[in-house]
Amino acid sequence: MIRELLTRFRFLIFRKKRTEFDEELRFHLEQSIAAKVAEGVPAAEARRLALVEFGGVERARAECERQRPAWWLGTVGQDIRYAQRCILAHGWFSLAIIATLALGIGLNTMVFTLVNTALFKPVPVPGGARLVAVSNRDVTQSERSMRMSYPDLLDSRAQSHSLEGLEGSANLEGVLSEPGDPPQPYHLARATTGIFSLLHIHPILGRDFLPSDAQRNAAPVLMIGYAIWKERYNGSPAVIGKQVRVNEKTATIIGVMPKGFMFPTTVDMWMPFIPSTDELKRDNRPLEVFGILKPGIKMAAAQTDLDDIARRLAAQYPATNKNIGAFVESFNDHYNGGNIKMIFLLMLASVGFVLLIVCANVANMMLSRAVARQREMAIRGALGASRWRILRQLLIESLMLSLLGGVLGFGLAAAGVHWFDLATSTVGRPYWVQFTMDYTVFGYFTGLCILSGLLFGIAPALRFSRPNLNQILGEGARSIGRHRGGTLAAILVIFQFALTLVLLTGAGIFVHSLLRTLDANQTVPADQLLVAWISLPEDRYKDDAARQLFYDALLQRLNALPGVTSASLTSNPPGLGSAESAIEIEHARATDPAHRPQVAFVTASPEYFSTIQLPLLLGRSFSALDGTANHSSAILTRATAARFWPGQSALGKRFRFFNDQGKPGEWITVVGVTANLAQDLMEQDPKPLLFVPVRQEDWNSVSLVVRSTSNPTSAVRSAVQKLDQDMPLRDVFILDAAVEHRTWYLHLFSKIFIGFALIALLIAAVGIYAVLAQATSQRTQEIGVRIALGASVRNIMLLVMRRGLWQIFGGVALGLAGAWPLARLMANLPIGVSPSDPVVFLAVTAMLACAGLVACWLPAHRAATLDPVKAIRCE
Amino acid sequence: MPTSTDLLQGTLDLLILQTLSLEPMHGWGVAQRIQQVSKDALQIGQGSLYPALYRLEYKGWITAEWGSSENNRRAKFYRLTATGRRQLESELETWDRLSAAIGLVLGRRVEAPR
Repeated sequence: MIRELLTRFRFLIFRKKRTEFDEELRFHLEQSIAAKVAEGVPAAEARRLALVEFGGVERARAECERQRPAWWLGTVGQDIRYAQRCILAHGWFSLAIIATLALGIGLNTMVFTLVNTALFKPVPVPGGARLVAVSNRDVTQSERSMRMSYPDLLDSRAQSHSLEGLEGSANLEGVLSEPGDPPQPYHLARATTGIFSLLHIHPILGRDFLPSDAQRNAAPVLMIGYAIWKERYNGSPAVIGKQVRVNEKTATIIGVMPKGFMFPTTVDMWMPFIPSTDELKRDNRPLEVFGILKPGIKMAAAQTDLDDIARRLAAQYPATNKNIGAFVESFNDHYNGGNIKMIFLLMLASVGFVLLIVCANVANMMLSRAVARQREMAIRGALGASRWRILRQLLIESLMLSLLGGVLGFGLAAAGVHWFDLATSTVGRPYWVQFTMDYTVFGYFTGLCILSGLLFGIAPALRFSRPNLNQILGEGARSIGRHRGGTLAAILVIFQFALTLVLLTGAGIFVHSLLRTLDANQTVPADQLLVAWISLPEDRYKDDAARQLFYDALLQRLNALPGVTSASLTSNPPGLGSAESAIEIEHARATDPAHRPQVAFVTASPEYFSTIQLPLLLGRSFSALDGTANHSSAILTRATAARFWPGQSALGKRFRFFNDQGKPGEWITVVGVTANLAQDLMEQDPKPLLFVPVRQEDWNSVSLVVRSTSNPTSAVRSAVQKLDQDMPLRDVFILDAAVEHRTWYLHLFSKIFIGFALIALLIAAVGIYAVLAQATSQRTQEIGVRIALGASVRNIMLLVMRRGLWQIFGGVALGLAGAWPLARLMANLPIGVSPSDPVVFLAVTAMLACAGLVACWLPAHRAATLDPVKAIRCE
Repeated sequence: MPTSTDLLQGTLDLLILQTLSLEPMHGWGVAQRIQQVSKDALQIGQGSLYPALYRLEYKGWITAEWGSSENNRRAKFYRLTATGRRQLESELETWDRLSAAIGLVLGRRVEAPR
């Protein structure tokens, strides 16, 4: 048995010498001749008879060769060489297929990786797939979810039987300082003490929180993340037990969490949640709450469980918990739900389109190629190639093309994922969303693309390889316009163009709204404005007077800095959002509290308007007195003034804010009107904007706005430090960068969708080009004859292009029908688009039609300029 | 149309193995021997003889070596290996069983298997 295997193996590797067979054959023939001569046949005749008797020598030789184990491997080598020659011989065609495949595989892998990571991949902690976020919600308003109060958390934890644990955290800014180190702000979470053991993640150094750490009189402790440990404390183990100050209160570092752990989102350090007296009330809801489902428990069961608990609490504490329900959702939905999910799904849909276009294109090109090669197949069949052999050769050719496409696609996907990871690294995405290449997804798409190529490349070839050799061979070059793969190819092209148009529309809508945001607030010199935020700790700046003192001193210092033209304060620099409130206008008809007009407002110091160069059209700017008691005042934009006091001067008119509890504030007098300004760039229908003095709102965080000829960052920083060395400067930006940062997803997704759309456009154009060119080259002779018989350039161009034009037209019509609902869908996104944006539709249709025309024109032009003499002889 | 080799392959292999079990022989000899023993009823087409010999050699049932023929010509002699012998025995058994069974079905008297 082993011997047999060894023998087989030997012959697998070493082949017999060709001469061996020849010699054996010669011997055989000699014997045969000798036998015949012995019977009395003349020598010459005997030789002839022997040869006749033996039959085909070559055939016998081939038959012998074929007996060799794994003989067919050698022919695979032949097939590979042949495929190579074919691919190189049809260079452009091959390149088109390879590029199409690469783009299809690359893009889809990239986007599926992104979507999977952002929307579905569980948090990388033990049991992360069962991690859920629990919120409260007002059952009368189904949409809004709220955080949870500490007592409710304790009750839910005690009563729940579907969750393994329930912990909460409240995120805030924590300024870490100690003697000798500058203060630095970090993301701090005040978390219930069981948070780490719930996740089964333990500190790499020091100890976990203990329940006793959360007692009211416990010594304050701090758990730091790996990044702080490495960067601020150089990874020193001596950090355990170190006394530091967090938000100016002493705390002891007790542990260091493992690398990369920033639960729940982007937290740098943790302190135990010690509820203040306020936080023991049930209507104070500071906590984000998460739990882990018990194994085998479904989300719906947990929802029912927590609903029951919420109902019991509502019955028990009607004053605070009436109409408060519970809401359980997956971690991914909690943090990446809503608009993010919508955009990612939109992205998914658009690459789905790209995938369809790619498959259609590969299929179409393969189809047209197979049709063009039917004669070749027929000849090979006539020469004795078996169907399997022909099939295998095509298979190998397709596989080689696919392999090249796949390798390119892999590079593309890896680069894309990496780029996206970089592009979103500064937008506050949760730490567990790490965009890395997903190999399963890559395999899946590679398989899909290759399969579509094989299917369409081989099926028709197989059909042609079989019957009617005579007919096909006989027809030869004189076949006119038959077997052009007509309808199927046409449908595929129409389909591609329709999908491309839909994609282009999506991209167009993004770009249009991006352009709008770039266009907004053009009078504001955004490239000269430095913006930075400061927060005044409540402990040291207890009241309005103390804050005002600090602001006055700060503005004085800032204005004195060399190069600084103007410095002022605001709550939201131009384009960076606003606060909202309901207002009531004096002497206006009393309205139902639910329908009071809403306004957007920002605070501003007196110099603000000159700093941002917003012209004051009427009245005056704020004075030092504005915003003090009995001097509540406001400045309106022109649009706001026209909205509330149409046809009259708004100066001297009064209105008042309502707070969240529906209580009115002081009457506020309008003292000025400015030009219009856009604060909420992505709002399709922004609320009327107005300005109030900084001191009128007792907020303890404010943004500095400094106009300067050079970048004054370090000077501004030191000016702040000189006034208060414990006050860090946050989010320092030049205004246009800050606006870009705020509208990051518009920028990012514009780029992505433009990319998709252009790729789709390219692929579709290449597709229609390849198909037309292939069809035209098959008709070279026919065209030559037509030219020779006097057809004009116009006739020939029309002849070739007619088919392409029809397909483009059909595709555009179908595409517009599909783009309409897409535009309506996108109008729901907060990116400021109107559902029926005729500019976008016109632009993309024109773009697609142009690309299609060029793709058709090229082969048509080539056909029309053929030399008829050469064309007729072609083949 | 199926080729005769396809139909006869198993049988041809058996005939060759049986012939070679007597003594080592060259290809021509095998063909002649089969023809003689079968009283000219079986004429092995040379086009199938050599592929069959090669096939058996590749399978390791026979080995080939160069020797000199009766008239001192260099010729390739095939010899049954131990594996080949075992294979022959098992194929003979199968053949006997099969032919007896076919004979029964066709209602012919057959000699009892050896």
